[in-house]
Amino acid sequence: MPWSNGLNWIFRGKAMHPALSVIIFTTFSGMGYGLFIWLCGNILNETAPDNMSIVVSSALSIILVGTGLLSSTLHLGHPERAWRAFSQWRSSWLSREGVMSILTFIPMFFICWQTYFELEFGNLIKPVAIAGIVGSIGTIFTTSMIYASLRSIPAWHNVWVVIGYQTYALSSGGVAYIMFSNWQQYLYVILLLIISLIVKIMTWISIDKNRGKYKREDALGLPDFGKAKPFEPAHSQKNYLQREMGYDLDPMRRTLMRWIALGFGFIIPALLLFIGFPLVPVIMLICLIGMLAERWLFFAEAEHVVRLYYDRESV
Amino acid sequence: MTCLPDKTDKKLGLLIDLNVCVGCHACAVNCKEWNTSSITGPMEDIKPYGDDPSGVWYNRIHSYEFKKEKEADRTVYFPKSCLHCDDAPCVTVCPTGASLKRSEDGIVLVNPDVCIGCKLCSWACPYGAREYDTSAGVMQKCTLCVDKIYDKNIPQERRVPSCVSTCPAGARHFGDFADPKSNVSILAAENDGRDLFSEMKTKPVNKYLPPRKRERHEDRRLTPKVSTVKDALVKWAKLDFSG
Repeated sequence: MPWSNGLNWIFRGKAMHPALSVIIFTTFSGMGYGLFIWLCGNILNETAPDNMSIVVSSALSIILVGTGLLSSTLHLGHPERAWRAFSQWRSSWLSREGVMSILTFIPMFFICWQTYFELEFGNLIKPVAIAGIVGSIGTIFTTSMIYASLRSIPAWHNVWVVIGYQTYALSSGGVAYIMFSNWQQYLYVILLLIISLIVKIMTWISIDKNRGKYKREDALGLPDFGKAKPFEPAHSQKNYLQREMGYDLDPMRRTLMRWIALGFGFIIPALLLFIGFPLVPVIMLICLIGMLAERWLFFAEAEHVVRLYYDRESV
Repeated sequence: MTCLPDKTDKKLGLLIDLNVCVGCHACAVNCKEWNTSSITGPMEDIKPYGDDPSGVWYNRIHSYEFKKEKEADRTVYFPKSCLHCDDAPCVTVCPTGASLKRSEDGIVLVNPDVCIGCKLCSWACPYGAREYDTSAGVMQKCTLCVDKIYDKNIPQERRVPSCVSTCPAGARHFGDFADPKSNVSILAAENDGRDLFSEMKTKPVNKYLPPRKRERHEDRRLTPKVSTVKDALVKWAKLDFSG
């Protein structure tokens, strides 16, 4: 067992090349939007904690989302052109995500700013909180649709991916929100952690059952000529496609990472909240590690159908 | 604009006859040669003379061995490049408008001045038709030699993609699939022209002619008869004359 390789062993092989920046982006921004949804919910039912907590929690969600967005530009070939990504919202989920995330900053900054300076705008904060919830859910939805819309990656072309992105954002954001809400709703957060756990397991059941749906002969358009196997390789060295989409996830590593994702992401935070563990930032950190493992797996487990032209009989 | 056109006036594309292709890679080589000095070039070559060369190719020649019950095995050479799909998922996912499908002829192109290199289009393509240029930081793909097929300085009969003009076997044909009377439409209709991976619902324009069906279906491989003196003696000893 290659444990001696340590982290290198854990992060070496992957199916879809999971750019670290994209993993950090989706995890951090998910937590940020989740946190903001909890805050807006509490503003709406008027159980929001003191002003300082509102300021700090909305600021934290801005920092989480902002860090995520900045990090997402790091894997681009031309980060200086990133502004162009706001233009194609009519067809592209990635572009829609960009637009939605910028729009959602408006209620985030508004609530932070208004509460910090204790400004009075009548009851304006409530419609803004509704806009915040809609914007956050919308942004998470567009993020999930970037992946769920890709038919070429069967593990992502799945409704559980869309459901999961919402519940993981709410559960991880809920853990973060406990810090500010004096444990008012820790039972709801535990409930969401359990829902997320179930959704994650359902997702894995679904993608494991659907594996092998597409055959190499379908990809070649020759299903009636028997069984095809590669003869001479098309090129002597690995090309971009194989480097980006052609790695295998070691089954043992998958099991390990699945347990880390479940344990750190949902089970341990839920138990710690249940026993009233006082250091909430530690729970948040544990949850974040679990979510990073979950997101790493999300990329590492996803197999692209282009592998049918290379080393896979079925995907 | 990354919305797909409702309809393209022409559907320019390739028809590849798998029964004729001999797997010589000439189409891939000439593709690289033309396009590296054309509008989308240079095509990246990293360590071309080293132990681990890599780079961008618009066209790759795979080959497969097909095994079927009661039939002799067959080898199929399988050139694969962009299929210029009608419902091209690589175009709609593009956030910047760098990917586009032209409404006049249906050619799918990348504008390298606008591409941000997010690679999402290469994830969306089920065929692996797009390759990332690490030096330029942008995505690259087959242009159907758009700078050659419309070049008025070239004699009319030579205005075809490089892979087509160079193919020594005549396995590659170029034409307009929107016109039912075009060479490629007729060839595809008469010879069971196939789509690659129709399950992906991309409606590819390029078509592939499958290998011809065999008239004789029995396995014609010869099984060598191993017969030694010892075997013969044993048979006689057993008085067994079968086989």
